[in-house]
Amino acid sequence: MFYGGIDVGSLTAQAVILNENSLYAYKSMPVSSNPIDSASAVIGASLQEKNLQHQDLTYCVSTGYGREQIQKEGLADENISEISCHGKGAWWIMPRVRTIIDIGGQDAKVIRVDQEGELVNFVMNDKCAAGTGRFLDVMSKTLGVSVEEIGPLSFKTQKVIEMSSRCSIFCETEVHHYLQRGADLADLAAGINRTMAGRVMALVRRVGIEKEVTMTGGVAKNQAVRRELEKLMGLKMITYDLDSQLVGALGAALIARRLAEGKQ
Amino acid sequence: MEILKNITTTIENDYVKAARASGQKIIGYVCLSTPREVFDAAGIFPYRIKALGRGDTSMADAYLSRFNCGFCRACLQLGLEGSYNFLDGIIETNGCDHLRGMFENWQHAVPRPFFHYIRVPHLIDQDSLQWFKEEIELLISALNQHFASGIDDQKLQGAIEMQDRVSLLMKQIYESRWEGEIKLYGHEIMALIVAEGSMPAADYLQLLDSFNEEIKNRKALDVRARIFMGGAATDEISLVNELEKLGGLMVADSFCFGGRVFLREAAAAEPVKRLAETYLNNLLCPRMFMSYSNRKDYIFNLINRSKADGAVLFHNKFCDLHGIENVKLKMDLEKEGLPVMLLEKEYGAGADIGRIKTRVQAFLEQLKR
Repeated sequence: MFYGGIDVGSLTAQAVILNENSLYAYKSMPVSSNPIDSASAVIGASLQEKNLQHQDLTYCVSTGYGREQIQKEGLADENISEISCHGKGAWWIMPRVRTIIDIGGQDAKVIRVDQEGELVNFVMNDKCAAGTGRFLDVMSKTLGVSVEEIGPLSFKTQKVIEMSSRCSIFCETEVHHYLQRGADLADLAAGINRTMAGRVMALVRRVGIEKEVTMTGGVAKNQAVRRELEKLMGLKMITYDLDSQLVGALGAALIARRLAEGKQ
Repeated sequence: MEILKNITTTIENDYVKAARASGQKIIGYVCLSTPREVFDAAGIFPYRIKALGRGDTSMADAYLSRFNCGFCRACLQLGLEGSYNFLDGIIETNGCDHLRGMFENWQHAVPRPFFHYIRVPHLIDQDSLQWFKEEIELLISALNQHFASGIDDQKLQGAIEMQDRVSLLMKQIYESRWEGEIKLYGHEIMALIVAEGSMPAADYLQLLDSFNEEIKNRKALDVRARIFMGGAATDEISLVNELEKLGGLMVADSFCFGGRVFLREAAAAEPVKRLAETYLNNLLCPRMFMSYSNRKDYIFNLINRSKADGAVLFHNKFCDLHGIENVKLKMDLEKEGLPVMLLEKEYGAGADIGRIKTRVQAFLEQLKR
């Protein structure tokens, strides 16, 4: 039997297919303007890879923005919040994990799970781009580099230009000011990543740190933000081999499997 | 109910239109500390100013800053737009500084013929009660002078008795969610309460009677979780409705547009003193000093009696009163083992509903519901 998880975020869509025991197939792709199209494309590509049809899925769970519409369109049997899904997915990969820092394109969440991977507590950023992938997106454009480069750029310097504001707009103004004064891009990138980590750390403090800690979502790929967060928390986060953006869809597929078992 | 829909989606509803057509005067107020019986006794239609979830504040932002509560700005916006031009007067109260800013800018920009300020004490003690009694007497005197209202003790007593009947029936409907099958949603209760400040008392009593009969024939609702909601000054029925669609039914609340409207405990027999006691002693609002324990006990009691599984505490951005109170309440409720979620929000922010729903859905999942 096969179980599906579909996670449509603000920038990328992911699908994961599980069989009874393991990860069977997965795909990740940029989203289109319509979450239904994104969901259909990403789960379709995952199924196609293994010559499966949608009806081969015993149960499917949607998560992320548009999760309700995806279910209504019949692409999923149930919808679950991305908060529970990221918690469950991270716990399945690393059963020791208790605190998950999930930073996506337009939101950041700190999630606490118990020894069963069940949601215990969480906090999510308010309606503000600071501390989310969008912040790095805006800053990378200001620096004239790609968002993938802003992390590695930080490692080329020992100097950090500290930003006085964590607001995306004010920070952009500040970066422009430094650029006009001839500041080094690497020094600025280091400051931007530190600012990002500082903003997320405020959320971490609200939930509290319980070991082990890990990161999920697209920003988990930024090693400089990860390093700054580790410094602020005073610990080393645990890592894993799977693409960090797939964790939400993986959690959705795991929940799909559990829900299907519960219905039998 | 069609009549309820009209009242809760239209500022100038059918009752307002009828009052205007008959020449009846209409006075606007916001705060729960305003004794509506005084207006009922004067033959004046007391209308509770609201924004019904409309988030546009483009004109109001020229008078109040973006750092003021969105509810107050949204109400001011409607005043500036002319939606409240049917009001013959406005009652200002010192509920909070944001509210005062709203009233005073409104009166400055779009003055109403009658404007009266009730100074509501921040303490509940004998001196404050005496002060508040005198404030109510000043209000009566101002209304008698401006509108030749002829308010007397007999008329006041009649209005008090009517509100007692309203309160009794509303309490019965409100608490029907606490035992046995649940047949009505929390957002329907909020709609009823919004209606209370939008129509004459006698008509409202009839509406409650019809509603009470109607729900008896309903089927039981499928409830995923029983949720207590509290906090902000909000009349956003659609927000509560959206959250209830996720399966968390609001079984009790502490909103300004909520069950607190019907608290009536008072001992005095003399009408004005009775009103002072009713509206001050039962003012369970964070603007009151030295009475957090009263508010906490009230909320704990509601949560226990309604068998709530968890609590969602809202506050409008920049509302310090509810923002601070909610943090303290969260700590105290969690000490008692109740899961609590704090939710800061913009007033009437439809664009943010997705993010709010994500949090509430996750909270219900956290409750294992």
